[in-house]
Amino acid sequence: MATRTVEVATGVPALASERAATWPKRTKARLSNGFEVILAESHSIPKFHGELFFRSGNATFADRAPGLAEMTANVVRTGTTKRVSRQIEEDLRRLGADLSSNAGADTSAISFAGLSEFAEPLLAMVNELAREAVFPEKEFERERRQKLEEVKLERTQPGFLASERLRKVLFGAHPYAQVSPSEEQVAGYKREDLRTVYREAYTPENALLLLVGDFDPSDILKSAEKVLSDWKGAKPSQKTVPPVSKPRGRRVYLVHVPGAVQTQILAGCHAITRKHPDWVKLGLANSLYGGAFNSRLVMNIREDKGYTYSPRSGVSALRQHGYFSVSAAVRNDVVAASLTEIFYEIDKLRSVPVPPAELADAQNYLCGVFSLGLATQDGLLSQLSTIALNELPDDYLESYRAKVRALTPEDLLEAARKYFDSANMQIVVVGDRAQIESQAALFGELEIYDAQGKRAD
Amino acid sequence: MNRLQIAIKNTALANGLKVVIAPDSTAPVVTVGVYYKIGFRLEPQGRSGFAHLFEHMMFQGSANAPKMQHIKLINSSGGVLNGSTSYDVTNYYEAVPSNALERVLWLEADRMRALKVDDDNLKNQRDVVKEEVRVNVMNQPYGGFPWLDMPPVAFRNWANAHNFYGDFADLDAADLSDVQVFFKTYYVPNNAVLLILGDVKADEGMVLAKKYFEDIPAAPAPQFADPTEPEQSEERRGEVEEKFGTLPAMAIGYAMPKRRTTDWCAMALLDQALHGGRAGRLYRELVLEKQIAVEADGGVDDLFGYNGPTQMTTRILHKPEYSSEATLAAFDGAIREVREHGISADELEQLKVKWRSDYFATLEGGRGGYMPKYGLMHLLACFTLFDNEPQLVNTILDGFLAVTREEILAVAKKYLRNEKRAIVFRRPVKAAKEAA
Repeated sequence: MATRTVEVATGVPALASERAATWPKRTKARLSNGFEVILAESHSIPKFHGELFFRSGNATFADRAPGLAEMTANVVRTGTTKRVSRQIEEDLRRLGADLSSNAGADTSAISFAGLSEFAEPLLAMVNELAREAVFPEKEFERERRQKLEEVKLERTQPGFLASERLRKVLFGAHPYAQVSPSEEQVAGYKREDLRTVYREAYTPENALLLLVGDFDPSDILKSAEKVLSDWKGAKPSQKTVPPVSKPRGRRVYLVHVPGAVQTQILAGCHAITRKHPDWVKLGLANSLYGGAFNSRLVMNIREDKGYTYSPRSGVSALRQHGYFSVSAAVRNDVVAASLTEIFYEIDKLRSVPVPPAELADAQNYLCGVFSLGLATQDGLLSQLSTIALNELPDDYLESYRAKVRALTPEDLLEAARKYFDSANMQIVVVGDRAQIESQAALFGELEIYDAQGKRAD
Repeated sequence: MNRLQIAIKNTALANGLKVVIAPDSTAPVVTVGVYYKIGFRLEPQGRSGFAHLFEHMMFQGSANAPKMQHIKLINSSGGVLNGSTSYDVTNYYEAVPSNALERVLWLEADRMRALKVDDDNLKNQRDVVKEEVRVNVMNQPYGGFPWLDMPPVAFRNWANAHNFYGDFADLDAADLSDVQVFFKTYYVPNNAVLLILGDVKADEGMVLAKKYFEDIPAAPAPQFADPTEPEQSEERRGEVEEKFGTLPAMAIGYAMPKRRTTDWCAMALLDQALHGGRAGRLYRELVLEKQIAVEADGGVDDLFGYNGPTQMTTRILHKPEYSSEATLAAFDGAIREVREHGISADELEQLKVKWRSDYFATLEGGRGGYMPKYGLMHLLACFTLFDNEPQLVNTILDGFLAVTREEILAVAKKYLRNEKRAIVFRRPVKAAKEAA
């Protein structure tokens, strides 16, 4: 709720006519063993970026132990039938390459970037990690001990504590509720469990290779064929997962951090995945609400009221479910005031159509940022992986901006009413109980937890 | 060996504003930066944190673009914007579809010409900055470690040793007259460089730069305090309490040579030998092999962008069952190894390939994935403001690729000495068990 009169700028140069976009040319190919490859040229620097995805992640194996896919990915790079850990790291440096192996909720991935002149040896290294990792006992023990310390450390980070609690609340028995293992679960990891995950998930039928950069597509495809085409393996079987919980009514979850000098707010509700026809609509509504610097939330609680440095909202799209959330780290004495404004702006978007000028600004923003995101090799790679992993249409890049521009105030009202589920938002506050409990309790029935995740009320 | 040649056109306008244009029409987007040669190192005494607070004020309104309009006009043109304050420069930058170029230049020129802010704006941004400090430092485990912990231990000159984010009492003491004085002193065209990168023709860019910036009056050249440090001749140590985390931590910083000397190139590669990720000697030794540490990383913060005393700093979080002394002894072992034996020819060769690859990535560098050419902009700005030679962006690589093993050994002996270092121990107030 702006308390200042907003003045307008005078003498601003008009925008010139827009240069026609040239969309990156993509090549979709299959190697002779059926391995799926997507390529795009981008000649900004003499390098290339790649990502080898497997469509199984932490959620896939959460019934065995949370974080098992991540742990598997961590150990993958520590030894193969041909190279020990030190050799792997030195050889990567010799190729001018960066590489990481990791797992999210839905995928495991080996991500890499290197000089174009060494494309084939880098692909060979990636292939070796994907197929011939040996999980040395010593390296496994070391990584497990390291993970134990990481797990302890994240419990001291307000942002982690907030998102962990929100995911538990929104997802209940569904594996998406587990964002990180407990110390006991890490201690229970077995080397054999990792090898099983590796055997099941890292297969060509489950894989997708994306390459973007300074190369001739037919040359790099030949290298990929040479390296990867003799790989055989089955697709992992699909599992059924429990349904998500559907929390009704606002509730407040206070995670008590003694001595916290600030409060991390995170509120969220279920929304949709990227495949849903309303995705673009919701994206634009989010951009107006808290997804851009110029958004209503930022202008309100930062630029007008000075409650916070870093307010934002976003839609997190996991493969099976998406959720909308809004976050801000605020001064302890304005927790209630901040939540009031957070809901005021949500309810306003649900009640009052967006003025056409503001809508046009937000449409320009989304369209422009979309172009900026395609201007670097890793930016383009990330767009292409989003498209491929979410099975979006082939003309997604070309058609996205037209879809954004076609939206009307009525569309946004509809999206806000459907997906900014004000009455059922789940509110997490991470901070010092003595300073914030009475403020938090104004917004719903309160549950209190400690930093270890135990009920403490 | 692949190289990259960046086309550059540069000039200085009549008012002293330097202009650098790097055209590249591959994507229909343009990146604009304005860098002022003033950072937190040389902010006024008694006003710690002021350079950064001032950076926030530059978004609060100028003569023809009142509060909220800068942000609105850039976002609604399809662009993103931000600013940042570092040791010796403060930057403001935008990436937009190229049809918004004139609008961006108009906005940057408007706020270079006249800042128009009031007490409400200052109070608002002081509150915002305090929450920024809380979210990044005071309410985070290992917040500010070691970038805020190290300077008061390592340095003796206030310029290098003070709290760059600002003591809250100093932030509270800052008033509007401080804002206007700082603006009139340092935010003058003859203390700045304008950069335009991407989808613009060089000649058109020059015409536009003149159109919007040339009538901004020049001012007397700012007088800068002397950041020189007295010669260090003893190891310095300090301690800081860690309120949230349970792992003991330490940072070890060695004084770096001046920028753009032969020693500087050799130290940069030695830095990579020590800190270059999982292949780096310190990570390998402390995390992978001896398994004392959980994290061991660091290096020189912004190698091309410092213009005063700085350090190469290692940051270590170690397991509680190892004492600080044992951890430091293991670190010292790795340092002794390079001081005595240098590095192998094979290791040097690997480092050079990686250096070249990293340099290309820096030039393309998105910042947070949304700012194409941020890295190129930063290098061009620093090479212009500090060296008056933006073309260095095409030649600076040669110095690093020419470094020899002998030079690496020599700088290891010369700079990695106990009497040239400072150590900060960050000690958890809670034991690991107690927190559980």
